[in-house]
Amino acid sequence: MAKKSSNSKIFSLEWLKSLVVTRQKRAKLLIMTMFIVIGGVFLYFAVTAPGFLTVGNATNMAQRMPADIIVAVAQTMVIIGAGIDLSVGAVLAFCGSLTAVSFCYWGLPVWVAIILGLVAGLSIGSVTGLIITKGRIPDFIATLGMMVTIRGVALILTGGLPVPSHVTAVKLRAYLPPAIIWLGSGKIFGIPVSLIISLAIVAIGWLVLRHTTLGRSIFAIGGNKEAAAISGINVDLTKIKTYALSGLLSALAGIILIGRMNSANALMSDPANLDSIAAVVIGGTDLFGGQGGVIGSLFGAGVLSVLKNVLNLHNVQDFAQRVFTGILIIGVVVIDQLRRRFTR
Amino acid sequence: MSLPVLQVKGLDKSYIGVHALDHVDFDLNEMEIHALLGENGAGKSTFMKILDGSVIKDGGRIFINGQEVNITNPHQAQQLGIGMVYQELSLIPNLTVAENIFLGRWPRRKLFKSVNWRQIYRQSKEALKRLGASIDVKERVNNLGMGERQLTEIARAISMNVKILLLDEPTSALSDEERERLFAMVRALKETGVSIIYVSHRLSEVPQICDRVTVLRDGKKIDTLPVNQADESTLIKMMVGRNIGERFPKEKIQEGKEILRVKNLTINGRLNNLDLNLHQGEVLGIFGIMGAGRTEFARALFGIDKINKGDIFISGKRVDISSPENAIREGLGYLTEDRQGGLLMRMAIPQNITLPSLKRFNRFGFLRHSDERKIARDYIENLGIQTPKLDQKVEFLSGGNQQKVALAKWLCSQSKILILDEPTRGIDVGAKIEVYHLINDLSKCGVGIILLSSELPEVLNMSDRILVMSDGSFVGEFKGGEASQEDLLRSAVAKK
Repeated sequence: MAKKSSNSKIFSLEWLKSLVVTRQKRAKLLIMTMFIVIGGVFLYFAVTAPGFLTVGNATNMAQRMPADIIVAVAQTMVIIGAGIDLSVGAVLAFCGSLTAVSFCYWGLPVWVAIILGLVAGLSIGSVTGLIITKGRIPDFIATLGMMVTIRGVALILTGGLPVPSHVTAVKLRAYLPPAIIWLGSGKIFGIPVSLIISLAIVAIGWLVLRHTTLGRSIFAIGGNKEAAAISGINVDLTKIKTYALSGLLSALAGIILIGRMNSANALMSDPANLDSIAAVVIGGTDLFGGQGGVIGSLFGAGVLSVLKNVLNLHNVQDFAQRVFTGILIIGVVVIDQLRRRFTR
Repeated sequence: MSLPVLQVKGLDKSYIGVHALDHVDFDLNEMEIHALLGENGAGKSTFMKILDGSVIKDGGRIFINGQEVNITNPHQAQQLGIGMVYQELSLIPNLTVAENIFLGRWPRRKLFKSVNWRQIYRQSKEALKRLGASIDVKERVNNLGMGERQLTEIARAISMNVKILLLDEPTSALSDEERERLFAMVRALKETGVSIIYVSHRLSEVPQICDRVTVLRDGKKIDTLPVNQADESTLIKMMVGRNIGERFPKEKIQEGKEILRVKNLTINGRLNNLDLNLHQGEVLGIFGIMGAGRTEFARALFGIDKINKGDIFISGKRVDISSPENAIREGLGYLTEDRQGGLLMRMAIPQNITLPSLKRFNRFGFLRHSDERKIARDYIENLGIQTPKLDQKVEFLSGGNQQKVALAKWLCSQSKILILDEPTRGIDVGAKIEVYHLINDLSKCGVGIILLSSELPEVLNMSDRILVMSDGSFVGEFKGGEASQEDLLRSAVAKK
């Protein structure tokens, strides 16, 4: 009788004990608690941030996120293939600048300018892939080199000035074309065009990774390069394709970004490399390759954007924001590692 | 009769859903070599890991020299004189032998706490000398052979003054010669007062060095026998729990047309003018001791390593195999020596099985997941792959089941010529026999099989024809069933 009554209580001592009997259960409880606490604190600051829950703020965020999301998708594919692309930020800036320069200074039609930018991204990515596979250079080193090189080329192209600029002597058109502005800040039924594009890219990324032979090959070489090669996967070609895709997507992000800022410059989007890697990691993709997905990265990019937005609204200065972002990245990864270790 | 060095009573351990050890009793006498046998998943590893402190027991008591101890971490196990040598060698390849032997406990000088190298080298030499091994302590580990690495590992254990040494499958990567050396060393070690628990899959080793045998099955202790009462068939019956019939169920199959001919295959300095031919339904054994070039030959034939010279003909047509992709297209399959290197451990079963034949599951650039799963389900059923679910990640399968998944890959890619490199290494007896049955079934379907193995009984009993390899050349050819173990060995070690 007494036993029955203790069972019927929801918060009985037995219930609490049963939650903590094994190591796994204790760990799960701890992780859950950490998630709830961190999530709760985050939510509290978000809701109390002046103007966070307004349409204007939501639109603002929705327009800031797309470039980050697209680059995160690119980075996800590269990282699943056990690579890392440190050149995404530089490629983004260069291709954005190239599109702007070819329209403003070279007088090319807008669609040619856009295609030129995209092709440039694709080519740079392919070259990076070739350097890594044929030159047998570690991904990290090759993309680091490309990052510096491409940023330099972008600076040469723009002369270090914003495009379009009033200082430049060659000035065919002193404005960016409406089509690009529309890509960056236009809206359809109140939804930013750029957001639609970026979500479409996420969907395509998911399709490629989960439903195509290319995607399967990327997972295979990320999981075990040797085993993939013995199973007849063309490791080099897969790698080159991955980096080419990364370059192409970075270029697209660059064009969207200049459309939003109504200006291009060679130094834009400097933190894109680390931000995209952070988004990928927060999204649960394994930094050593072989596991993960773009949906997680979309979530990761979202979390980072909301964090930045909330900190801005709370008037936290930019320098301190970096500290918060860093702590968030480490915290999320630590929790994720704990989860993996104890839920086996 | 003195007190046992180690006594274990009612040792118990459960993981989620698995009763890994079910009240196991065990004792180890002084200066005894005690074999611990069992199929994969029988609980051997859990048992060893509890003793060495890397797994915590759920219940039961452990006594050392009659005193109850509670082992909670590896460091404590070391203090108690228990040393473990793992199956996967845990040496750091780019450090020297001496550095590895003293890894993590480098002796310091008083002054400035700097590392006392002289002491390290001296004591490492002593430890190796005690094993009767002549290894340069300043050599880097990645320049050593597998046997020498194994010795280094054991030297590390005994340099900690172990009284109880746990050896987990120490011979699985060794050649026969190296194995003999290891046995001599283990016996010598025993004479110096060390007691040894010896885990192995190779039943033939048991009478050679052990005093007593304990068999585990499904986490339970079946029995402990003195070695003279434990012949091979008794042990197998105890391990498997049923009579498994013949160990090598070779069936004679009518050979068909020539399917593969290799002429003058050469990789400078490693493989010399290798010639061979293979017929449909034939099992061609290639035997050689470690380093004879078996795996190099397989890798060259499969297009992984570039060859300098040589022609390959498949069904009479000359083909160019410059990559595994080509090889697969020409109908070759290659089961690698090391399962870790051939499987994607963190991928699910279906993805692994279809990997070499992805193109077949491709429609307009998209994978047909339903077909993939259907094929995987068929193979799981036909090969008897034991798995709780279709999407199980391969890393959670037992060794034997992993090997079946690896085989399923090449069945799925419809290989006509299958290279099997040590197909039964590190899997238990029951699974071995299942693999042999699969080899028979494949032969019946007209698949030509090249069986590379360093296990003599396996090569002798499963092959129709045997080539002996030594120093990158084929040095002898025998008909299956006509040669003896001595013939093959003599041929394999003979100097040219």
